[in-house]
Formats: sequence, C-alpha cells, structure tokens
Amino acid sequence: MKKSWFIFLFALLLVGVSAEFLRAKVYIDIRSPSFRKFPIAITPFKSPLTPNEDMKLGERVTDILSNDLSISGFFALIDPKSFGESIVKPPPGVSPLPAEQRPAGTLPDFGEFRSWANIGAEALVMGEIAYKDRSLTMEARLYDVVQRELIIGKRYIGEITDLSRMAHRFADEIVFALTGEQGFFQTKIVFVSKATGNKEIYVMDFDGRNVNQITRHQSICLSPRFSPDGTKVAFTSYKSGNPDIYIKNLPNGEERPISQYPGLNISPAWSPDSQRLALTLSKDGNPEIYIVNQDGSGLLRLTDNPAIDVSPAWSPDGKKIAFVSNRQGNPQIYIMDADGKNVQRLTFEGNYNTHPAWSPRGDRIAFDSAIGGGRNICTIHRDGSDFRILTANLGRCEMPSWSPDGRNLVFSSNRDGGPHIFLIDAEGTRIKKLTFQRGGDIYPNWSPRFKEK
Amino acid sequence: MLKKSSVWLVVLISIMSIAFIATGCAKKQVVKEEAAAKPVVEAKKEEPKPTPAAPAPRVEAAPPAPTPRVEAAPPAPTPPAPAPRVEAAPPAPTPRVEAAPPAPTPEPIDLVSLRIQFAFDDYSLSTKSKENLEKLAAWMSKNSREKIQIEGHTCDIGTNEYNLALGERRANSAKKYLEALGVGSARVSTISYGEERPLVPNKEEAERSKNRRDEFVKTR
Repeated sequence: MKKSWFIFLFALLLVGVSAEFLRAKVYIDIRSPSFRKFPIAITPFKSPLTPNEDMKLGERVTDILSNDLSISGFFALIDPKSFGESIVKPPPGVSPLPAEQRPAGTLPDFGEFRSWANIGAEALVMGEIAYKDRSLTMEARLYDVVQRELIIGKRYIGEITDLSRMAHRFADEIVFALTGEQGFFQTKIVFVSKATGNKEIYVMDFDGRNVNQITRHQSICLSPRFSPDGTKVAFTSYKSGNPDIYIKNLPNGEERPISQYPGLNISPAWSPDSQRLALTLSKDGNPEIYIVNQDGSGLLRLTDNPAIDVSPAWSPDGKKIAFVSNRQGNPQIYIMDADGKNVQRLTFEGNYNTHPAWSPRGDRIAFDSAIGGGRNICTIHRDGSDFRILTANLGRCEMPSWSPDGRNLVFSSNRDGGPHIFLIDAEGTRIKKLTFQRGGDIYPNWSPRFKEK
Repeated sequence: MLKKSSVWLVVLISIMSIAFIATGCAKKQVVKEEAAAKPVVEAKKEEPKPTPAAPAPRVEAAPPAPTPRVEAAPPAPTPPAPAPRVEAAPPAPTPRVEAAPPAPTPEPIDLVSLRIQFAFDDYSLSTKSKENLEKLAAWMSKNSREKIQIEGHTCDIGTNEYNLALGERRANSAKKYLEALGVGSARVSTISYGEERPLVPNKEEAERSKNRRDEFVKTR
C-alpha cells in the first residue's frame, strides 16, 4: 500500500512538472516580427439550465470573450457563420453540467477536431453556463485544435452579477496561456460623463460595460485618475465653488479634499507608488506644477516659470515627469526630473500639444495634438524620436490614456457627436467605440490591473 | 505480482509523458486531463473570488449606482456653483447710508457689457479690453464696497486642463490690470472655468471667439 501511494505521489509530481512545461509553451509569439494573428474559434456558450431565456447568459459570455480577444489584437476570430451545424454540436463527451458526472476534462474526439481544423481554427473555446439556486456556474475550456488537446479548463462559481467578470477572467487566461503575457480584460476605465447634465465621474469595465456613477457633486468634475494600486481615484471638482482636488477611496466610497488652495487645483497625477500626486496650482500667481503627499501634506513646488505649466504625468519608474508648458509660445510637452530639474522640451512638431500620458512600458509618451488638422492622438519616443500620429479624420481626439500593457489607448472623440470614449491600438490600426451615453463622455483614464487576492 | 506490474506501468507512462512533453504530442492529454481536472478543484477555491476578491466589483457596488441619472436630476435645479454669485448682486444698495454726496451711490453697472475677449491661446489684453477694465475700475473706485469675481473662460479647442490654466491666466490678466488702476486686490477674486461654461455653443470660429472671454460677477 505504501509503495503504491508513493508511486501515486510520483505520478502527481510528474503532472505538476508537465503542467509547468505546458505553461511555458508559447503559441503566439507576439513580439516576433513575423507575428500573425492566431486563428481561434469561439463557440456559442450553452446555457441549458437558464431559468429565463431572456437572460441569454451564454450569448453574453460569447460576446464578451469574442470582444476581448478581438481587442487584444492577437487573434483572428473565425466567423461563427462558418462553423456549420455539425461543428456547433457539442463534441461527444462534453456534457452539460454537472461536470462531476463525467470524466474530468473530457475531450472531443478527433473527428470533431478535424472539422475545426478544416475551417482554419488553431484553437477552440467552448463552455457552458448554469444558473441554479442563485448560483452561477461557468465552465470554459480552451483546446489546441492542431495538437488535439485541452490547454485550459476552468470552472467559475459566483452570482449572476459575476458573469461578465468570469468571462473577462477566462479571456485573460486564454491570452496568458497562448502568449505568455498578462491580459487586461479585468481592468476598468474611469471617465467623466455629462449624462446627468452635470459632469460626474464614472467607472466602467474596459470594454464599456457596467457603467457606474461614482460622484454626485452636481457641479463640474474633471481629470479623474486611478491610483496605480487601483484603490483610489483622484479628480478635480468645483463642488465647493473652486476647482479643488479630491481623492475617492473606491472600496469604501469615502471622499476627501486634498488640495484646496486659492485658484486652480487641477490635473492630479499619481506617482507610481501611489503615495504622492503631481498637480497644478495657481496659488502663487500662475499655473505651476507641484508635488504633494496623498494626504495633502508636504507640498513641493517643481516649476517656476511665468508661463503656463500644467498636466503632469509620471514616468513609470517615477524618475521623470512630463508636462505641458507654453513657455516657448504655445503649448508643448516637456520632460523634467521628478525634482523639477533638467527641463527639456520633448515635442517640436505642431503648435498645440497637450495632455501627456506616459506609457506603462516607459518608452513612449502619448498626447493630443493639433497636427494633421483638428486634434489627433499622437505618440513619441521619450527621447523625442519616432513621432507617430495614431488618429486621422476621427473628429476631435483628445485625452489619451494607456492600457496597462501599453498596447492600446483610450481617448475621447467627437467623431459622431458625443463626445464618446474610443479605444485604439498603439499602432493606430484598430478603433472601437466604448461609450454611448448621452451628454458626452471625456477624460478616460485606464486602471491598472487589479491585484487578485 | 499484480501490484508490481501496475507499478511498472505507472512508471512507464510517466517516462513516456515526460518524453512527449518536450515534443508536444497526444499523450499530453493524459497529463492535461489531470490539469483540466485540477482547475475545477482550483476553481472551487476561486469560488469566493468573483465576489469578495477583486476590489473592482466591490467598488462599484459601494457607491450604489442603480438609478443614478434619475436621482441626480431632481435635486439639481440649475448649475450650482456660479449661479448664487449672480444673485448676490442686489445687496449693493446698502452704500446709500453713509454718503453725504447723495447722488453717486450704488451706481448700476452692466457688467455683461464689460465682458472682455481674447485671441486664441492668448491672455494679453486688447485696447478694447483695457478700456472696459478702466470703466470697471472707475466704477469700483466710486462704489468702494463692491467686490467682483473675474471668471476666465476659453473656447473648446485644446484640452480642458490646459484651458483651465489658460482661463486662469485670462482672469489674472484682468485682475492685474485692475490692481494697476488702483483697485485693491482683496476686492477682486478670480476663477477659471476653462471651456466648461461656454457663452454660446462652440460651433464655428465666430462662436468660439465669443467664448474666449473674462466675465465679471459681483460678489459679497
């Protein structure tokens, strides 16, 4: 008996080791110059036990997954129209819940895989939803069609309101399993909307779903920015009659003013360690950049120039701050050390460049510019080289903010009224509208990845 | 015997699976089935996560958002901040009390007509603007109890944050000029609204130029 237990343990160990090997396999080398989009088929999730057909739980999951994977830019989604009837049928052995009643990780037979390979799929996503006793269960699997094997299988259990989270989570799993990179599908975007008639702060999922209003100041709220630890939002509000800076603690909803000097208290920007904020104050006579601790103490002035200095943005290593200044005649992006020394002009193209955002990778800075007519989102290398215009003929595009992986940006554009919030990849090839509210949505700011506990 | 052979079998399978891991072959399935089975277990551990774990959903749950737009509408009859200031105007009549010189009391003034305009991305005062400020300064010196706030505004070109700074500079330009004309700085406050409170919708250049302005509002 002892011996057999030992062997069992040994076998388990092997499984563990091989699982590590599997993790290490990268299906899509997204850094390779010969990178091509990975063809993947996402089958409609089944929700056989849904009590209410209107909920269309399976459809919603399929939508979210497809949208996430398509936004990532790594995948070519195979058109469901090409699936054909036989293909959509659950492969033999893939039974609806409960899974306890079938062999763990049951695989479709080889014949099924061949039909998926025939329509060009290299990976396949399948799954089911069940809703019972107020408990929502989602099972999802990712298969390697070429190797005919299961890559990941997950079961998520929660409440019905967790549905989109489960879907985003599995999308993150897919991206990580196939590329080795962290996805960003569970992130949020904070923004300003005038949907109520007043400019208030809202938070939504990165894909535009689950919009929630988080301020009710009935005044003007501007410039919301997520702390890099994801727990707070700093913003400007005219609530007390003057533009002051507030911090809202997201877990408990508490809100406190941290900067209420006479004149402007605007454009808060978190330091990478979430401990300090760079901001713009005009208390000394003209808009200058200062640093303050997040409790409002330790005010330190960085710039000293008779011109406008505004809109600071930290480099991810915390050593530099980009900002806007019109000290040479019109607004341009400048970079200085985080102590205010070594100010250098970054942008020379165009006569109106504002709203810098430093890429999480540290290499590039995005901003909005009058270059190219109207306003456009541009990026430039931090050394001033490799200037790129991402948007063209998309209306007035302003206020860029990077995704946590530095591969995408959100910004506001009035291309179809609005303005609304749009997402674009860092190469400027794919664009997607995220918000549809009335009244106008501006100032998008992308959250960090939230830490799983 | 039976036991022994089964032992060998397991070892054999294990070795084979190691061999295949490197090449990635069908045998992996055996392994992965386990891996697939595991996540199910893991996932159970994850169960609580969807609710308590991620800070994000909580967040949204906290500021209860169920009927935001509806709620917000009723209590906010009008734009909150600036409106009260306008109402503050009437109290002026008080100066009447002291004045021995009877007539030059709270002279009415049309502050709207004194509004001053600016060029794009500029906060310097034109000749016309200076004339208006001189009229305003004269009125303020005659009505020494009056206080005003200068509101700096911009058109919608450019980004809000820069425009807030620009509006501040516009308000300050006017304030400095009034001070140079002898108006005490305590009687003049400033606020910038950037592009947040346009006079007219920013449709064409004609409208935009109207929005690049300073407005004067009586305060207490």
